[in-house]
Amino acid sequence: MTAPNFTIEELPSAEIPRKGVWYHFRTFCRRYPLGAIGAAITLVFVFCAIFAEFVTGMDPYTTNAATSLAAPGSSHMLGADVMGRDVFSRIVYGARISLMVGVGSTLVGCFFGVFIGLASGYLLGWFDLITQRIIDMMQALPLLVMALVMAASLGPSLENTIIAISIPLIPNVARIIRSNTLSLREMPFVESARASGFSEWRIAIRHVLPNTLAPLIVLATAQLGAAILTEASLSFLGLGIPEPHASWGRMLSESAAEYVRTAPWLVIFPGIAISLVVFGTNLLGDAVRDMLDPRQRKT
Amino acid sequence: MTMLKAKTRLAMAAAMLAIPLGGALAMKDGGTLKIYHRGTPPSGSIHEEATNSTVSPYMGVFNNLVMFDQQVAQNSLESIVPDLATDWSWDESKTKLTFNLRSGVNWHDGKPFTAADVVCTWKQLLGDVPRKMKLRKNPRKSWYWNLKGVEASGDNQVSFALGQPQPAFLALLASGYSPVYPCHVDPKTMRTNPVGTGPFKFVELKQNEHVKFVKNENYWKPGKPHLDAIDWTIIRSRSTRVLAFIAGEFDMTYNTDVTVPLRKDVLQQKPDAICPLVPTNVSTNLIVNRDAPPFNDERIRRAMGLSLDRQAFVDIISEGNNFIGGAMLPPPGGVWGLPPEELATTQGYGDVAANREKARELMKQAGFGPDNRVKVTVSTRNIAIYRDPAVILIDHLKEIYIDAELKVIETSNWHATVAKKDYQVGLNLTGVGVDDPDVNFFENYACGSQRNYTGYCNKELQTLFEKQSSMADQEARKKLVWQIDQKLQEDVARPIIYHGNNATCWQPYVKGYVSMTNSVYNGWRLEDVWLDK
Amino acid sequence: MTSYIIRRLLLMALTLVGMSIIIFIMLRLVPGNIADILFDSAGFIDPQEKALLEEELGLHLPLWKQYWDWIYGLVQGDLGFSYVSELPTVDELGPRIPITAKLAGLSLFFAVLIGLPLGVISAVKQNTWADYVVRIISLSGLSLPSFWLGLLILTAFVAWAGYIPIYTSAPETWYDELALLITPAIAVGFRASAIIMRLTRSSMLEVMRQDYVRTARSKGASENVINYKHALRNAILPVTTIIGIEAAFLIGGLIVTETVFNIPGVARFLVEAIQWRDYPIVQNLVMLIALIVVVVNLMVDLLYAVLDPRIRYS
Repeated sequence: MTAPNFTIEELPSAEIPRKGVWYHFRTFCRRYPLGAIGAAITLVFVFCAIFAEFVTGMDPYTTNAATSLAAPGSSHMLGADVMGRDVFSRIVYGARISLMVGVGSTLVGCFFGVFIGLASGYLLGWFDLITQRIIDMMQALPLLVMALVMAASLGPSLENTIIAISIPLIPNVARIIRSNTLSLREMPFVESARASGFSEWRIAIRHVLPNTLAPLIVLATAQLGAAILTEASLSFLGLGIPEPHASWGRMLSESAAEYVRTAPWLVIFPGIAISLVVFGTNLLGDAVRDMLDPRQRKT
Repeated sequence: MTMLKAKTRLAMAAAMLAIPLGGALAMKDGGTLKIYHRGTPPSGSIHEEATNSTVSPYMGVFNNLVMFDQQVAQNSLESIVPDLATDWSWDESKTKLTFNLRSGVNWHDGKPFTAADVVCTWKQLLGDVPRKMKLRKNPRKSWYWNLKGVEASGDNQVSFALGQPQPAFLALLASGYSPVYPCHVDPKTMRTNPVGTGPFKFVELKQNEHVKFVKNENYWKPGKPHLDAIDWTIIRSRSTRVLAFIAGEFDMTYNTDVTVPLRKDVLQQKPDAICPLVPTNVSTNLIVNRDAPPFNDERIRRAMGLSLDRQAFVDIISEGNNFIGGAMLPPPGGVWGLPPEELATTQGYGDVAANREKARELMKQAGFGPDNRVKVTVSTRNIAIYRDPAVILIDHLKEIYIDAELKVIETSNWHATVAKKDYQVGLNLTGVGVDDPDVNFFENYACGSQRNYTGYCNKELQTLFEKQSSMADQEARKKLVWQIDQKLQEDVARPIIYHGNNATCWQPYVKGYVSMTNSVYNGWRLEDVWLDK
Repeated sequence: MTSYIIRRLLLMALTLVGMSIIIFIMLRLVPGNIADILFDSAGFIDPQEKALLEEELGLHLPLWKQYWDWIYGLVQGDLGFSYVSELPTVDELGPRIPITAKLAGLSLFFAVLIGLPLGVISAVKQNTWADYVVRIISLSGLSLPSFWLGLLILTAFVAWAGYIPIYTSAPETWYDELALLITPAIAVGFRASAIIMRLTRSSMLEVMRQDYVRTARSKGASENVINYKHALRNAILPVTTIIGIEAAFLIGGLIVTETVFNIPGVARFLVEAIQWRDYPIVQNLVMLIALIVVVVNLMVDLLYAVLDPRIRYS
C-alpha cells in the first residue's frame, strides 16, 4: 500500500499553498469546522488505541467477584462489568481492537481492490470482463450477508473478522480504481511517459496509481466507521470478535441484553464510544472528501 | 397487539390486583397461554432430542406410563404418580416391573392406545425395531443399560424385564423425556407432526415464529386440560423477549430463561410477576481432553481442578445464587448431592489459596513454572452462559502457570467439536434429565456412554455405579452415591464448577404451575395450568 | 436501447450463474453440516447414524453432482426441501418474503421522506447552522449501531407506554400490520435516510454550480424556482441510483432489525439457515437476493435513461 506515504502536497489538484503547519491547521478548522471536530475525535481514538497501556493502568481482562457490576465511582471511573472488569480500561483497549478492525479491513480491502481495479482498467480484455463479472457478483450480496457467511466459515476470531469485513470492500475499491484508471491511461502525461519508454507496469504504479488516491482516501475514511459498525452487528448476531477481547460491539451487544436498566453504564459507555468514533471518522471523512474533490471546493 | 389491546390488558391486570385474594378461587377453564420460546425446537420428537427446547413445548402432547407429580416441586421416587399406567408392581426378584394400563385412551388421530405402543416405544429406545421405525438419534440409550426387554400381555398389561434390580427405573419412566409413542406413526412424522395421547394436540411449528398447541377435547383425564390452547412464540433476542414479558405480551417466560440479574430487573419493573429461583440441575463443568498433551499428564489435570475458585464463579455469574456441589445436584433442591460438610472434605473444594498452592506444586512437578508457562486453548460454545464462566476460568488458570486463550465454537457445532476431540480444555454445560444417579452416572461418567465426552472410564467406579443402582435401601444408597461423587471429583473426571439457579417467571393470573427444583425437563405437562382472568 | 437491454440481460444471467457457484462453494467451506447440527441437539454424534443421514439428504454425493442437482431443480422450479423442517423450501420462504418486502418498502419510504427534504435544505442553506444541524443528525444516523438503536427504542416503549412493538403473532388487519412495522421501519429507515440525505446534498451542490442554474439565476428567476425546478430535478438522478442500491443493502440492516423486533421475515431466517447449514434454504434465498439486486440495478440504469435525456444507450 502506498497510501500512508502520500501527502496532500503531492496531489496535482490539491494546490495548497506552502505555508506553516499552524496556518494549514487554522485554515482547515475555519473551512471545515465539523471536520476539525471529527479530526479531534479521531485523534483521541487513535491515541487511546496506540497508548492503551498508558491511558489506563488497569488490566481489562482481570475478573474480580468483589467488583462485579460496580457503579461508576472512584475505583472504577466508568464502573465495572459483570465479571468485575474495569469498563474504562475495556473501552480504551477496545479502541485498539476497533482500530485494528477498521484499519486492518480497510488496508486488506484496498490492497486487493486497488490491485484488481488497476489490473482490470489497465489490461482490459478478458481479464477485465471476468473480474467485472466477479465484482458484480460480490456486489449482488448485501455486505452483512457476505460478512456473515465469511465469519461463519472462517470461525470467530480477530483476524477472521477483519477478513470478513474487508471482502465486501474489494469490489467498491476495484470499481473506483478501474474507472479512474480508464480515464487516466489516456491522459497526456501518461502518454508522454509511455513515449519515454517506461514499462506499462511502471506507468501504472508510478503515474496512474497516485492519481487515483483521492477517491480512495475518501472511501477509506468512510470505511473506518463502517467497519466498526459492521463488527458490532456481527457481534450482536453472535459472530465477530470473541471474548475476552475487549470489543466495543461485543460489550454493547452482550450487556445491552441483561443490564440495560440495572447497570446502564455497561450499555451507555461502549455505545457512546462506538457512536462517537464512527461519528468522528465520518465528519473527518466528509471534510477530506470536500477537500480532495476539486469540484466541491469553495472558490 | 395494538396499543389499545395492550392497554386493556394492563387495566385488567391492575383491576385483578385490586381484588383481595380472599377465599378459594374457582378454577376457570379456557384462554390461551402465551409463552415465549428461546429458539426453534430442533424437532417435535422428544425421544430424539436432549434439549428442553423440545421437551418443554411438546411434553403436553404426550403421556408417560408414570410421571412426576406436576404439583410437587422436588422430583423423587416418592413423587411418582400414575399416568397411562393405573398401577405397577415388582416381581419377587425385583427385576420385572409390570404395569396395568388404562383402557379407552385414544391417540390424537383417533386410534386406540394399547400395550403394543408401550412395547414399541421402548423397543425403539433399545434399537430393536425395523429400519423404518428406527430413531435417527437416540440420546438416552445409556438410561436403559439394564433393560433387557419389554413384553405385552394382552392390550392392558406390559412388563419391563431388567438385568438386575433397579428401584430407580421407575424414575426414568417418570421423566418428561419418557413419553409413550404411537406404534403406527413413524419417527419422521413424529419429528414434524407428533401424535400423542396428551392434553394438548400439536397444531403447527413455524421455524423462527411459533409452535402452537390446542386442547385435546377428548383427553382421558376428566376436566383437563383447563387451557384452550398454548402458543409458544419464538424470540431469539434475550433482551427483546424479557422486555416483552415485562410489557405483558406474554403470560409466562421460557423454562428457566431468567437469570439472576435479569430476574432482578423483571421484578423491579413488574413487582407482581412470580419468579421463583429454582436449581436447574444443569451444571457448568470442565471437560479435559485427556488424550491431548499436556493433559495426558494426570498431575496437570489435577492441578487444574485445584485452581478453581468456585465461589468467585458463583458470585460473578449469579450474584451468589448458584450452588456449589459435586456431580449430583446438592440439597436443598437436589436429593442425591453432597451436603456441605461432605463437600468440605472433597478434594478440590475448600480453601482456595491452599488448593492453588498445591496446584502450583503439581505443575512444578510436571515441569512447568512461572518461567515455563503452559499455553492452552479453552473451547466453549458461543453463548453467554458458556462464554462467561470460560472467561473467568481463563483468569483463574493464570494462577497456576497456565495461559489459556478462549476459542469459541459456533453453537451448533459444539458437540461435533467435542466428539472429534478437537479441543484441549472445554467448558461445558450438562443438564440432568432426572435427579437420580442412575441417569447422571450412566449418562455422563460410565465407560462407553456416548455422552461421556471426556472418555473417562474407571472400571472400579463402574462396578459401584451398578451396585448403587441395585440397592433397595435408599438411605444406604445415598451414602454410596456420595462416595462415588467424591471419587469422581478426585479423579477430575469432569470437575463441576457450579449448578445453575434460574427462574421461570409468570404473571400472577397464571395458576396451577409449579417450577420444579431439580429438573428442567419434567414439569411441562401444563394440564393443571389455568388462567384466572 | 434494445441491444443494450439484451446485453445487460446476458450479463445478468452470467452474474447469477457465477453467484450460484460462489454461494455453493462458500457454504460448503463452512465447517460442519446439517447432520452434525441435527445431532447437536441430542448431545452426541453417532458416526454411523450421521453417515446414514448424510446419505438420506444426498450430502454423500460428489460436489459437482450436488451442484447440478440443485441447479437442475432450480431451473425446473423445484427448490427442494428444508433440511431442518423437512418442508418444501417454497413453503418456508413464501410466507416470509412479503413480510420483509413490506418492511423494506416502508423503510425506504421513510428514508426518502426524511432524507430527500433534509438533503435539499442542507444544500440550499450550505454552511449555515441549518446545514450543520441537518448534517449532524444524518451523521448520527450513520453512527448508531442499528441493534442498539432498536433496543433503546424498545426499552423506551416499554418504560413509557407499557407496550412493546414487536411481532408476536400475525396481525389481523392492515393497520395492525402497519402499526407493527412502523417502528422497525423507522429504525432501519433512519440509517438509509442519512445516506440519501448526504447524496442529495452533494448532488444538489454540484448541480447548483452548473452553468444553466447560474444562467437561470442571472435571469432573475426566484431562488425557490431555481432550487426546486432546476437543481432538484437534476440532482435527483444520482439519488435514484443510490436508492436502488440502498434497497439491496437494506437487507443487511434488516437482519439485525428483524432480530431485535422479532419480525419473522426472510432476513433473520437467512441467518438461522446459515447457522443450521440448511443448504437448500440458504442457496435459494441468496440467489433470490442476488436476482433482486441485479434486477434493481438494471431498472435503475434504465430509469436513468428515462429521467435524463442526455444519456443514450447504444
